[in-house]
Amino acid sequence: MRNHRLTRKILFVARSGPGYRPALMADQANFERDALQYSRQLYSAAMRMARNSADAEDLVQETYLKAYRAYDSFEEGTNLKAWLYRILTNTYINKYRKDSRRPSEVDLGDVEDLYLYRRLGSEDTAEASRTTEDRVLDGLVESDIKAAVEELPENFRIPVLLADLEGFSYKEIAEILDIPIGTVMSRLHRGRKAMQKRLWEFASQRGLLPEGAERP
Amino acid sequence: MSEKCDCGDAVDQIYQYLDAELDEGTAASIRSHLDDCPGCFDSFDFERRLKVVIRAHLSDELPEGLEAKVKDMIRHETA
Repeated sequence: MRNHRLTRKILFVARSGPGYRPALMADQANFERDALQYSRQLYSAAMRMARNSADAEDLVQETYLKAYRAYDSFEEGTNLKAWLYRILTNTYINKYRKDSRRPSEVDLGDVEDLYLYRRLGSEDTAEASRTTEDRVLDGLVESDIKAAVEELPENFRIPVLLADLEGFSYKEIAEILDIPIGTVMSRLHRGRKAMQKRLWEFASQRGLLPEGAERP
Repeated sequence: MSEKCDCGDAVDQIYQYLDAELDEGTAASIRSHLDDCPGCFDSFDFERRLKVVIRAHLSDELPEGLEAKVKDMIRHETA
């Protein structure tokens, strides 16, 4: 791996024309190769954070610029993807949080465990329950899922995004957000339950619930 | 946790289980509970499917030109 990278670096130095600074050219090529592969995912996360495409594009550009400027100090073997998400998250928080001195630590009402499942799975037979579950899981559309995430307060939305969109581990999320793992777990748990409550409302609006079912 | 787990233990740890965050011993005790308990098996299966649906619907296409803008910016920074 090391040798391969070195070879690439040397090739780059040899191939770069006059007027270029070879070392920087090599960094730039590495950065583009290693970091830009996450651009679509970063943009999706930025969309769920900023909730509009203009701000999301700005966020992604700013994230890459900051990352590139700090790329010198980036050590090989570090979790590049998690580091990019850390920059994205901090950029979002600093830029769009109205009052940065007062983090928006909004609380969520208490929602019971297995909220959606318990409301869909209460039919007379297991088979009927399964049919309802299938209908809801197939019938919820992209805008429902996105809205359910985007409506979460920020301190719940970001952990949910990092886990459910990106599949980061709890430890990675704790490092990205600078919060303890226990806090990650409780926010994820509560954020997901609040999402389920919203999804149940969407399912009802879309007529996916059986007749006579409990309604929101 | 002891080797046996009940429905309460299982539900308490459902997300950690589905997120693959449990140590092997705890995960094994939940798996063995799911083998014995159709109700929990069903609820875990639903949550797992919901997680897949959520993940599948949270992505956006990258806007045209954004990657080129980022590359330009980086090259400008390098020059």
